[in-house]
Amino acid sequence: MIAVEPNKNGVIIRGYQVELIPLSSQHLGLLRKWRNSARVRLNMINSGQISEEQHQTWFDGLKSDPSQQHWVAYYKGIPFGATNLKAFAGKEIGSSAVLEPGLYVGHPKYQNNLIAFAPTLALYDYVFDLLKIRELQANVKSSNQAALNYNQKLGYKVVKRADLVTLSLLKTDYSNETKMIKGLLSR
Amino acid sequence: MAVKSTMSNQQKLVQAFCDALGVSSQTVNDELQYNTIREWDSTGHMVLVSELETVFNVMLDTDDIIDMSSVAKAKTILAKYGVSL
Repeated sequence: MIAVEPNKNGVIIRGYQVELIPLSSQHLGLLRKWRNSARVRLNMINSGQISEEQHQTWFDGLKSDPSQQHWVAYYKGIPFGATNLKAFAGKEIGSSAVLEPGLYVGHPKYQNNLIAFAPTLALYDYVFDLLKIRELQANVKSSNQAALNYNQKLGYKVVKRADLVTLSLLKTDYSNETKMIKGLLSR
Repeated sequence: MAVKSTMSNQQKLVQAFCDALGVSSQTVNDELQYNTIREWDSTGHMVLVSELETVFNVMLDTDDIIDMSSVAKAKTILAKYGVSL
């Protein structure tokens, strides 16, 4: 069960012990530090270092881009990761039937921790229950076995295998596969 | 069950990890951490929580379920619930 509250940068999503706060300028330094860390960069499609200028340009572009939304995930008031939604072909998030989600855990303490599921559960509940999105589609490097396993635990099915593996998730599969973990994170 | 009742809590803990994760007792030491072996993934973790709760007759809080990231941590957490290890 999630709670959603609008703020000036988008919507705050709370659930499963975490808070997803819309990305703002105050997060930029931390986000770039995480994004440029070896562990996160290794699994990105663009695995190069991001300069401060590139990062600021990317952030400025988000303000006029309705096809993507970004959040920073907090656990007990500590920012530990970033998650996002993107619509395909420049469509608006709210008017798209299929969205592509993204997540990375930047805080080393939480990289091998069950809490890594919480931002995803909160975001996917928002996507399926409030936005009424039909399908989520994830693209993962074939070398990123941890992310492939993670996605399959959420109910994703592989639809295409290449250097990038494409996975698809429907609400029914998501609901069925996540009952137990939601229970543990909602006591 | 008869065997389990004569075990020390330390032995019960090791057995709970073995039963939940399907690993040998040699694998279960204080340094063993979540997500460092194939068997202790999120699914294994859920089974493990259930097993520990049954064996020690406790109900773990969500914060403790999240925090239980190693065998050593599991011991510390169970101690909070009155399980002496």
